[in-house]
Amino acid sequence: MDGIIEAISSFASQEPAIYYLIIGIIGAVVLSAVVNIGAMYVIWLEVKLLGDFSARYGPNRVGGRWGLLQIVADAIKLFTKEDSIPASADKPVYVWAPIVASMATMLVAAAIPFGALYFNGKYYPLVVANMDISAFYVEAALSLLVIAAFMAGYSSNNKYSLLGAFRGIARMISYEVPMGVCVISVAIMAHSLNLAEIAQNQTLWYAFAQPLGFGIFIVALITDLGRIPFDQSEAEEEIICGYTTEYGGIRWGLILFQEYNNMLLGSILLTLLFLGGWAGPIIPVPGLSIISPLIWMFMKVVIVLWFLIWTRSALLRLRIDQVTDLGWKVLLPLSIVNLAWAVVVGSYFA
Amino acid sequence: MGISDVIPVPVAVDEEISKWTIFGQPVADVWFTTTEKIHQIIEMGPIKNIFNWGRKNSVYFLMQPMGCCGVEMFVFGAAPYDCTRFGCMPRNTPRQTDVMIISGYITRKYLPVIKNLWEQMVEPKWCVAIGECAISGGPFYDSYNIIQNTADYFPIDVFVPGCPPRPEQFLEALMNLQEKIKQRKDKRGY
Amino acid sequence: MTTASDVLSAVQSAFPGAVLESRVESDRRLWATIDSNSIVDVCKHLSEKLNFDHYSGAAGVDWIARKEMEVVEIMASHGAHQVVAMLKSKTPRENPSVKSLANLFWNANWYEREIWEMFGINFEGHPGLYPLLLGDELVGVWPWRKDFKGYPDLTTGQRAVERPTSEGYTEYFIPPTPAEIEAGTVPKEKPKYPSFREREEKEIKSDSEMIMHMGPQHAMLPGPFLLDILIEGERVHKAFLDMGYIHKGIEKIMENRTWLQGLTYTDRMCYVASLSNNECYCGAIEKILGLEVPLRAQYIRVILEELSRIQSHLIGTGEFMTLIAGVGYAPWNFMIIDRESIISLIESVTGARLTHTFVRFGGVRNDLPEGFSDKCRSALKYIESRTKEYIELFEQDPIYHMRMENVGVLSPDRAKRVGISGPPLRATGVAYDMRKEDPILVYPDLDFKVVTGTRGDSADRIDVRLREILESIHIIEQCLDRIPAGPIKTETKVPKKIPAGEAYYRVEDPRGEMGMYVISDGGDKPYRVKVRGPVYATLQTLPPLLEGVYIADAVAIAGSMDGCPSEADR
Repeated sequence: MDGIIEAISSFASQEPAIYYLIIGIIGAVVLSAVVNIGAMYVIWLEVKLLGDFSARYGPNRVGGRWGLLQIVADAIKLFTKEDSIPASADKPVYVWAPIVASMATMLVAAAIPFGALYFNGKYYPLVVANMDISAFYVEAALSLLVIAAFMAGYSSNNKYSLLGAFRGIARMISYEVPMGVCVISVAIMAHSLNLAEIAQNQTLWYAFAQPLGFGIFIVALITDLGRIPFDQSEAEEEIICGYTTEYGGIRWGLILFQEYNNMLLGSILLTLLFLGGWAGPIIPVPGLSIISPLIWMFMKVVIVLWFLIWTRSALLRLRIDQVTDLGWKVLLPLSIVNLAWAVVVGSYFA
Repeated sequence: MGISDVIPVPVAVDEEISKWTIFGQPVADVWFTTTEKIHQIIEMGPIKNIFNWGRKNSVYFLMQPMGCCGVEMFVFGAAPYDCTRFGCMPRNTPRQTDVMIISGYITRKYLPVIKNLWEQMVEPKWCVAIGECAISGGPFYDSYNIIQNTADYFPIDVFVPGCPPRPEQFLEALMNLQEKIKQRKDKRGY
Repeated sequence: MTTASDVLSAVQSAFPGAVLESRVESDRRLWATIDSNSIVDVCKHLSEKLNFDHYSGAAGVDWIARKEMEVVEIMASHGAHQVVAMLKSKTPRENPSVKSLANLFWNANWYEREIWEMFGINFEGHPGLYPLLLGDELVGVWPWRKDFKGYPDLTTGQRAVERPTSEGYTEYFIPPTPAEIEAGTVPKEKPKYPSFREREEKEIKSDSEMIMHMGPQHAMLPGPFLLDILIEGERVHKAFLDMGYIHKGIEKIMENRTWLQGLTYTDRMCYVASLSNNECYCGAIEKILGLEVPLRAQYIRVILEELSRIQSHLIGTGEFMTLIAGVGYAPWNFMIIDRESIISLIESVTGARLTHTFVRFGGVRNDLPEGFSDKCRSALKYIESRTKEYIELFEQDPIYHMRMENVGVLSPDRAKRVGISGPPLRATGVAYDMRKEDPILVYPDLDFKVVTGTRGDSADRIDVRLREILESIHIIEQCLDRIPAGPIKTETKVPKKIPAGEAYYRVEDPRGEMGMYVISDGGDKPYRVKVRGPVYATLQTLPPLLEGVYIADAVAIAGSMDGCPSEADR
């Protein structure tokens, strides 16, 4: 064991470029596998939970009585469909939009710790790029999604798509600001912009230390994810499927996966920022103590996902002007109040 | 005037891309229409069975209520009959659907509309005719405004008689279609 | 109370010589043939002086043997009195033309357009005679005339010629039938008018406006029709409505079927209210025959019609909720589950889920099954508790109030003027219900109140529907208590040939006022059946209501009207 580590470190010092290339490729492959399989089962969870909320079974024909392979069937179908591009579409932009969307998601995923391992009395966060400013970076990378949405909406040459893209932009702009201010408040309290450190520094969960910020962040997160009551950009009964109207087959599959990727990443972000991340009592069983932070993290994320899906079956959709009103007139002032609160309380704790 | 007039469409970029080549083939070909070529390769192989397994278990239908059967279609999609058990879901845009349910009378005025919807759906796609009207015009067969020979316009795989059929018959039609896809006996040969 | 004879004498004294023929059928029905020159003045007098503020519709009749055509104007009142005046004006069959009422009554517009495209009767002074139900190919052949050669047309689909449009879409051209060509009745000169697309594109005033199509296939629509909205950003500036995507020509088909066969077509006019439509058709024929329906049959009819109202309101409300909440919204599924319990109840009596053909001339087809009463009571108890839950749910939901309140507000005056009926009218506070206005069956003996709203907005329309469910449950419970034993059909045999005569019969459909005007010439088939459906009036009201609202509101308004395009198109 020690020999292997030594050999690797000596290789890294001799050929740093090749070493980081190999590490980068491994990280990217693992990351995209984890994120995409995670997204598949977020979709599965949503379909099953939505069924449960509305007195239905949900898929139960493939993959046993829980329909566990349903999403695999969906993926195979989507990925083997015809690749259709509307004749009047702006082809390069149309083709690149889903790719840009996936790229933005992967950029976000790279900086988010998915959990941690515990050994020798220390937490080792599982993150591909452990940046010092990862909270700030994630915020910035999330806003790339709006560019992808606009590319898709504009290039489709469809009125529904265009309206959906406009709505998406109006919505995202008005909620990025309060969301950013919430992240700043958290950073002030945690004295760090590193997501892993923020998670570890929470002696008291920030959901309790700044409940206002927690509420605002949840609303802003749902808006960012474009879920009911804030799914105006894909309001099916108004503008069909919004900016994805003209997308079918694999391209739509990419956009769909990206949406659920974001849902997963959003829940992880919420857990890290406000719910103490992987904090929880270490299970005193030899094998389990290493992954016990992962178990806590997983449970918290599933609860957040459950909440996000529950809102979809229980709430109505807001109108776009009401959404922007809520963002600028209510959430932004409140988030600034929360910032002041975080400064006062944070300096007291310091 | 729309937005495409305000922001110039980068036609030049498009033309530029069409000039590039890779391995002697135009980039645009490889980039845009590879699925057809892939289809040709895998047409006969056993991998097709895996594809068809995926397709048969994930049949999204186009939400298009037309007549009495349209009301039963709502019920078919909702809780009491729950088509999502079979991986069947309603979608609203033809681009994202796999099966078109003709759920009623096709009139002179609606024929071009439904044909265009069918053409907008991406392959592989299937068509199911639900109810007497969709099969032959039903009780309105001799009207001046009704198309009787639906099967001449669409490759219909499953015909469901009834006026209107019960939601259970919708489920049966769905299962028949799945069986057809599995055995590669559907009209379009997927 | 004003009776039909009072109205007749008032008209005769105001316009001496204008009334050519008249018949007072009962206190509530007045039939009169008015001199075609003074029809506008008579209608104006009726609406201004005699409280006939409800223009209910118009029917065209082709009297080919007498070489003349008739336009029948149906006038009623919103509660001031209960007289329905059927005013006929005649015009020769060559170049038929009558005066238009479109400038007098706003909602006469669509009824006259329909008569023009079907019969070719020209309306002088009409603001725009464009086809409404027919495609452009059929305009000019006047399909509802008695000498229309293209009627039994079994080859429509085979004759269609496919051709692409300049934009790359598919279009079809369907040439006339061989019978038409042989008879030489193909019109050489088609009427000239701007097409629907040209008409809407003319309204685009600036570069920032565009037309968005909602339909013919759209997630919002309960069936195919075309709602085009002219939008600037998120604002709707103008709305245009095109129908006829599922026009089946039911009225023409019924003229070629026997009286009993025609009953099956009433089922398929509006498939969630088929019992009301059955009742309307049978009631009209019973009126011509002078049949008395046995008491037990009357109670059975009332029970089933109210059950059918409950299920219609449940699916209407549920569908509407998906429009403003998406299909993932759980109460939509709960409403469908509740509706299934009612459907299975109806099915246990009639044997069908949607299309029943259950009401028969002079009675009903079969008796209630054993144990129906207990099953019905327990189902109703369940529905009652659930409906109260829904009302409470919507009351407590802040987003529901934000989305629905003060959206699509109709004032009582405007609602009366545009001729809307049913829950959208009652939501404005006008207590206008056929079960009270034109009572049929045993409704006069039953205790129920007309549910009304106060604001006339989308929230009120849903609220009225939900509270009507409770009222219907109350009615059914009374019926189950009182239902007597006895025959379910009249003793007298209903003849194959109905004696010559005419009748206009109105019932309260779940969607509003449903009226059928049936003419018999003594044969075994109807001479003419005119259906005055509630959705036709509702859809006509829709475009002006959408002006100036947001797109999302347009969906909320159109959905709350609970339209059923199949009935409007017929």
